[in-house]
Amino acid sequence: MPPENSGYAYAAYAAEITVYTVYVISVWWRGRTLAARIRAATGADRSRSERDVTAA
Amino acid sequence: MAMPAHTERSPTDGGAGGPAQAGTARETDDAARAAALAQLARPYGLLFWVAVAAVIATLVRIAFFTPIEASQGPAQKIFYIHVPAAVTALYLAFALMAVASVLYLWLRDPKLDRVASTSAEVGLAFTTVVLVTGPLWAKPVWGTWWSGDARLTSTLFLWLIILGYLILRQAVDDRAQRARYSAVLAILAGLLIPFIHLSVYLFRTLHPRPIVLKPSAPSLPPEMLTTLLMSFASFALLFVALLLARYRLATIADEGLADGGAAARGA
Repeated sequence: MPPENSGYAYAAYAAEITVYTVYVISVWWRGRTLAARIRAATGADRSRSERDVTAA
Repeated sequence: MAMPAHTERSPTDGGAGGPAQAGTARETDDAARAAALAQLARPYGLLFWVAVAAVIATLVRIAFFTPIEASQGPAQKIFYIHVPAAVTALYLAFALMAVASVLYLWLRDPKLDRVASTSAEVGLAFTTVVLVTGPLWAKPVWGTWWSGDARLTSTLFLWLIILGYLILRQAVDDRAQRARYSAVLAILAGLLIPFIHLSVYLFRTLHPRPIVLKPSAPSLPPEMLTTLLMSFASFALLFVALLLARYRLATIADEGLADGGAAARGA
């Protein structure tokens, strides 16, 4: 009769899923932050070029 | 001290080429930004979802369709996630990191530096799984969470070195200097891989010896071996998918599309 220790196995599955999920979310989050910065930079470029045209 | 990412790409400065050239450069930059935004909106492609499905299928097979080992009980099944995570981290992620670092020092191609750093980061996640699931297996089987033997200690040491590697990359602003320093550290970390593999032969350890990655035939019943091989394949696929997603992000950050190169340090 094998020993009853399934709790450790389920804890290991949960830990594994947690680590990978946290990593996947962290990559997605960093991508989102970078996208926001790119959008902000695009807006800054546009307003700067509009100012250049107005000044000319 | 931050290096500008691409000094040749300054679409808003007008420059010697006049307004027409500046306008063309701005359009090119806008197109690059639009492409980057499209990639960032969907960082995980089809390969990632295939890998997720493969990992879920593997977990289902481990839990419900793999026999329970008689002497260790259900805790033995931790082996099917612990070993593939370790193999993926050591022999795929950190080996790739070390090889890319050697090639970087030779060829000085920034792409190789990106491959090394992204591989190290993904490998760190896999090693974290190894270091968490190992004690969860050791407690019911050995009667202790941790033993200070060579295999466990050297794996923890490697995890700390990789963590230091990623911290080092955040601490150095100059891109070339950062790549050079981190390549040296990555190569030193890579030297630990054969030591970790051989540690169970070189020292008296509690950690079991390899049952698949050894010169003789695998010592596992066929159902267990099938589950283990399925697990190897799905974790390798997950590694590749995460590596590609992270590499794309690093490439976009390095292109300096957000704020003239400062973004390169943020992602």
